[in-house]
Amino acid sequence: MTFRQFAFNNVIRNKRLYAAYFLSSLFTVMVFFTFSIFASHPQLTGDNMDSYVSFGMNVAAGIIYVFSFFFVLYSMSSFLQSRKKEFGLLMIQGMSMKQIRSMVFLENMFIGFIATIGGIGLGLVFAKGILLVAENVLIIDNELPFYFPTQPILLTFGCFILLFFFISIFVSYILRSRKLIDLIKGDKKSKGEPKANIFLTILGVLLLGSGYAVALTVDGLMVIAAMIPVIIVVIIGTYLLFTQLSVFIIRRLKRKENFFWHKTNMILLSDLSFRMKDNARSFFLVAIISTVAFSAIGTLYGFQSYITAGLKQVNQTTVSYQDNDTGNEEANVAYIDDTLDKANIDMDKERVTLHYYKLPDDSEVLIAKESDYNRIANLSDNETLHVEDGAPVLMGPEMTLLGVGGETSHEEEAEALKDAVLELDNDTILEPAQMVASNVLPSTTAYYVVSDHDFESLPEPATGENYYAWQETADKEIPLEIAEKLDSKLSAEGIRIGHYEEYIMNKMYGPILFVGLFIGIVFFVSAGSFLYFRLYSDLDEDKKKFQAITKMGLTEKELKKVLNRQTALLFFAPIAVALIHGAVALTALSNMFFYSLLKESTMVLSLFLVIQIVYFFIVRFYYIRQVKQALQ
Amino acid sequence: MLKIRQVSKVYEGRIAYRALSDINLTVEDNEFVGIMGPSGSGKTTLLNMIATIDEPTTGEILINGENPHRLKKEKLAQFRRRELGFVFQDFNLLHTLTVEENMVLPLTLDGKKVSEMKEKAKNIAKKLGITEIMNKRTYEISGGQAQRAAVARAMIHTPKLLLADEPTGNLDSKSSKDVMEMLESINEKEKTTMLLVTHDPQAASYCNRVVFIRDGKFYSEIHRGDNRQAFFQKIIDTLSLMGGDSNDVSSVRV
Repeated sequence: MTFRQFAFNNVIRNKRLYAAYFLSSLFTVMVFFTFSIFASHPQLTGDNMDSYVSFGMNVAAGIIYVFSFFFVLYSMSSFLQSRKKEFGLLMIQGMSMKQIRSMVFLENMFIGFIATIGGIGLGLVFAKGILLVAENVLIIDNELPFYFPTQPILLTFGCFILLFFFISIFVSYILRSRKLIDLIKGDKKSKGEPKANIFLTILGVLLLGSGYAVALTVDGLMVIAAMIPVIIVVIIGTYLLFTQLSVFIIRRLKRKENFFWHKTNMILLSDLSFRMKDNARSFFLVAIISTVAFSAIGTLYGFQSYITAGLKQVNQTTVSYQDNDTGNEEANVAYIDDTLDKANIDMDKERVTLHYYKLPDDSEVLIAKESDYNRIANLSDNETLHVEDGAPVLMGPEMTLLGVGGETSHEEEAEALKDAVLELDNDTILEPAQMVASNVLPSTTAYYVVSDHDFESLPEPATGENYYAWQETADKEIPLEIAEKLDSKLSAEGIRIGHYEEYIMNKMYGPILFVGLFIGIVFFVSAGSFLYFRLYSDLDEDKKKFQAITKMGLTEKELKKVLNRQTALLFFAPIAVALIHGAVALTALSNMFFYSLLKESTMVLSLFLVIQIVYFFIVRFYYIRQVKQALQ
Repeated sequence: MLKIRQVSKVYEGRIAYRALSDINLTVEDNEFVGIMGPSGSGKTTLLNMIATIDEPTTGEILINGENPHRLKKEKLAQFRRRELGFVFQDFNLLHTLTVEENMVLPLTLDGKKVSEMKEKAKNIAKKLGITEIMNKRTYEISGGQAQRAAVARAMIHTPKLLLADEPTGNLDSKSSKDVMEMLESINEKEKTTMLLVTHDPQAASYCNRVVFIRDGKFYSEIHRGDNRQAFFQKIIDTLSLMGGDSNDVSSVRV
């Protein structure tokens, strides 16, 4: 048996030991490969994609790669941790440190090679599925055909062989200067209980508190200015929260004998305090990674709904037409009517003339008749107005996309009403009595609605434009082909179809959303794997401990209770922190846009929570089963 | 106190292995019984069955006239932590807890009052001479101290039956002597019935009676008279008669 054969057999005949490490490497390769298939797909990189999208994808691939490096390194080091005793044994047999290092190097390269090949193979299968999903998520005209990705294969292979090579070197470097006695006693030696520094504990609380306070109070463009400092402060605060504050709290709890000596609390808390040193780092990583995932997905989703909502505000009716001085208004309207008719869509149609009046400063203002306004309002399911004679209404359009309108206080409203007094040509003075937020008429600036009677006494309007609005009666959208046909012919002349505008927006936004989702999910799944590793590295110790306690008499219920709490803490402590971080980040985001993202944030965050809960139940089931089997 | 009737244990597997066959043993209240035999003779299997950790294939074990193997799992765990005390070769102390916390662990599981637990721990620590190490961690104390702490944990709830599996196996001769003398005095003063599995004839000589098993069968038993030294000699004689391998008999310790 040569040395190389020994290293090889060590892996092959010890499959179970290496399985966890192998699988996590395989998973990482697969994720990267799938993503690079996606990123270099001809349909997505062709001319029909903006260059910034493909740039975004490359950046994302880079992030995944850097992240893979740390992930593989982390699983490798925790895997080596559990093999200390084996190395000690080999050294007693006379293996030199150099040989151990070259063994670890060979093993690692071997596993890395198999994982890379396997990950690419699995990724090919997985990619087909992902592409199918992508077709539906992204609105891409042609379908995404499966292609044989030569370039991504070469890229992934090259990148990961390099990655495993560096990690192998790195790891064999870590292994140096370990004393034999430390290796052999590796699992027996106590790591000691971590202590909390009171100064750092307080600092952690202060950093987190101030970070949150700033994030929640700033709005508008200040958010961007505050973002980087707040992120740094919160990251440091989170680190201190897990390394100092948690230890501090546990020690305080342990000192309270009434609590600590109560039933199973003693077993749970004493373990927790001893493992906190290892746990704290994983908790910190998981919390930060999950926060990134939550914020990325929340931002993208929130942004999409923000734009969609904006488009809905602009397009109150299904189809509208406002002539852009084309001269063939009648023909165009007839064409729209005709097309809609042929498509067999039942439409209600209204027509109003919008009158614009000249102001002394030469600008023009829209003043509408109450009945005209109410006809369109009725059509688009908006509230109708009742305007008294001599009491015109000032209409404030709400256009979130343009940053117009929104919540106003009483004082602001009074101020706006005072500013809105109009003086028209023939000394008619319009003094609006109230202000209403409405998007019924197509205007991006404030306009006025007067009663029909008052309207008669207005001077001659400077210009008049016809505004046509069609509203679907059966609450169906216009078929896309029809919308596209109308849009392509008349979009320059003044047609607006809300449904089609949303479709175009989604089509452009889809790839970005998909990339964001993909990265978010990758990060989140990786966070889950971190936790899984953390939990399973304690499995042997837990087995031994519970064997000892069960002999003294620990009921199954109590065993489950302890394990349940232990696992729950591991799974939910970092996620809870990440959820709070995410919620604060999304609140800051909505402050920036002056647009409430409450619904979107709640949805994204609770979706992640649900996934985490499901994951928790699965892992807990297997963990408890493993411990129970050891007790038989 | 303890009645073992026709107990056999067969380990199922590709080749069924009979670890114990037809063992009968009766232990009276307040008796201190040792079980000896060569490696693989089934001593620990027997003790595990008495400890309700393992179940006999046939036969029955009665503790105080009750068969604990018939109890439901929940009740069994409670039975173990209220009626039985355990001492192990490798102490089985939890390294995350202090000595005192280790001692009161069975009581905390039962939800006793803190003041009551403190009181009990203090009393027993005084008796066993471990008061000064109460706040130390398990890795800061010696093997002898650890075993005394383990005995304290086994005794804290004043069990009716104390089971010890090679309690001196990991200890030096001085500590072995201390631990055995301590067990002997607990047996005398607290009237606790004790069962000891050991390889060590020196340790076994502290018992009232020693039962020998070989290849899973009852071999013989000898009673202690007044003289522990003479009893020790008798144990050595029986062991050599039994013809176990020489390394089963540890070197004489005085």
